[in-house]
Amino acid sequence: MLTLYRPGTGWVYRTPAGPKALVLLLVVLVLSLLPSGYAAAIGCGVVVLVGYLVTGLGLRELARQVIAVRWVVVITLGAQLIFLQTEPAVANTSRVLATLLIAALLVLTTRIGDLLDAVERALRPLARLGVDPARVALVLAVAITTVPVLVRLAAGVREAQKVRGAGAGLISFVIPFLVVSLKHADDLGEALTARGVR
Amino acid sequence: MSSDILLDDVSVRLGERLALEGVSLRLDQQRIAVIGANGSGKSTFARLLGGLVAAESGTVSVLGLNPARQARELRRRVGFIFSNPDAQIIMPTVAEDVAFSLRGDRLPKAHAAERVSAALEEFGLVELADRAAHDLSGGQKQLLALCGAMIRRPELVIADEPTAYLDARNSRLIAEHLLGEANPHRLVLVTHDLALAARCDVAVLFDDGRLTAAGAPHDVIDRYETSLQC
Repeated sequence: MLTLYRPGTGWVYRTPAGPKALVLLLVVLVLSLLPSGYAAAIGCGVVVLVGYLVTGLGLRELARQVIAVRWVVVITLGAQLIFLQTEPAVANTSRVLATLLIAALLVLTTRIGDLLDAVERALRPLARLGVDPARVALVLAVAITTVPVLVRLAAGVREAQKVRGAGAGLISFVIPFLVVSLKHADDLGEALTARGVR
Repeated sequence: MSSDILLDDVSVRLGERLALEGVSLRLDQQRIAVIGANGSGKSTFARLLGGLVAAESGTVSVLGLNPARQARELRRRVGFIFSNPDAQIIMPTVAEDVAFSLRGDRLPKAHAAERVSAALEEFGLVELADRAAHDLSGGQKQLLALCGAMIRRPELVIADEPTAYLDARNSRLIAEHLLGEANPHRLVLVTHDLALAARCDVAVLFDDGRLTAAGAPHDVIDRYETSLQC
């Protein structure tokens, strides 16, 4: 999930991350203001379809993204069908799905480094309030990079427990996982220092 | 002319334990091997030179700098490679991680991109530029870590067991990048691989936090192997 960027060369790829994020935000805003009817659902579908075709990502990538968020769709639609009629439930779910797919468009066509640069630039006015934009961007980058490492560490802990015959249990998993995670945090801190981050 | 590495009666304490005790040495050679058993103080020695741990007593000079007081300048001139490549990857993709090393230099974007491309080319990582760094194999990750360190053109490279997690082929690849004759950088190589240590210009041996030998690699390795037979 953290390897979303798909290399490409179209104009969407060449558009700077900041303006691209703003335009996509605007599109999402417009979709969210449409009346809750089947027309809104169709509108969401058309916008998303056009987005994936214009960027050159294609229908296969769109299908992959839809599959990735299928449970969000099921839960959102299911919960709304309890309280609403079918038409508004479908329209609202379409809006949620379109928002997720459009947000994915941003990360699919923008390198994380460029996104972080945009975050850094956007936060620059807050420097006067003591916020360090470079540090915030770095924290985001490290967080994004660390997720797959933590997933691997968790798998390692579970494997170690299995081979030693330990049963599944929250406490017996959480404590060793915390230990290896903290060790990783220590190592990462040292690597950041070595690479010139103060 | 100041020595590359100069230690005078240096001790380092890690928690309750003296990890290095009364170490004095002067090293001007280009390629320095650091050998010894696990827990002997090799990695602490490397971290001391890289400014990652501070001496409790004594004086340390690396490239004429005091690592504790001139850490910023030291980072510009020294590259550090750890044994675990997973902990060295900061950015999500290969190219971004290499580029991260140049962030502090505030280079023009085009110039930075050129440097990144050249570095990826040199380390054979061009095809992997947009791949998620954590999806790489262990050898590729270590190559990436090395690439990230070398793009800053360090005068001194400190490598702490850089081949520890690698197979023979990848070990050889990393070793060539570190020890190849064409490399202009000075090198401090902490290693259990005595064949790599033998390729250096000088070797130092640590045992229980003390420096027990320093000199021609074959002599120091012989002494280490003799101590293992006792």
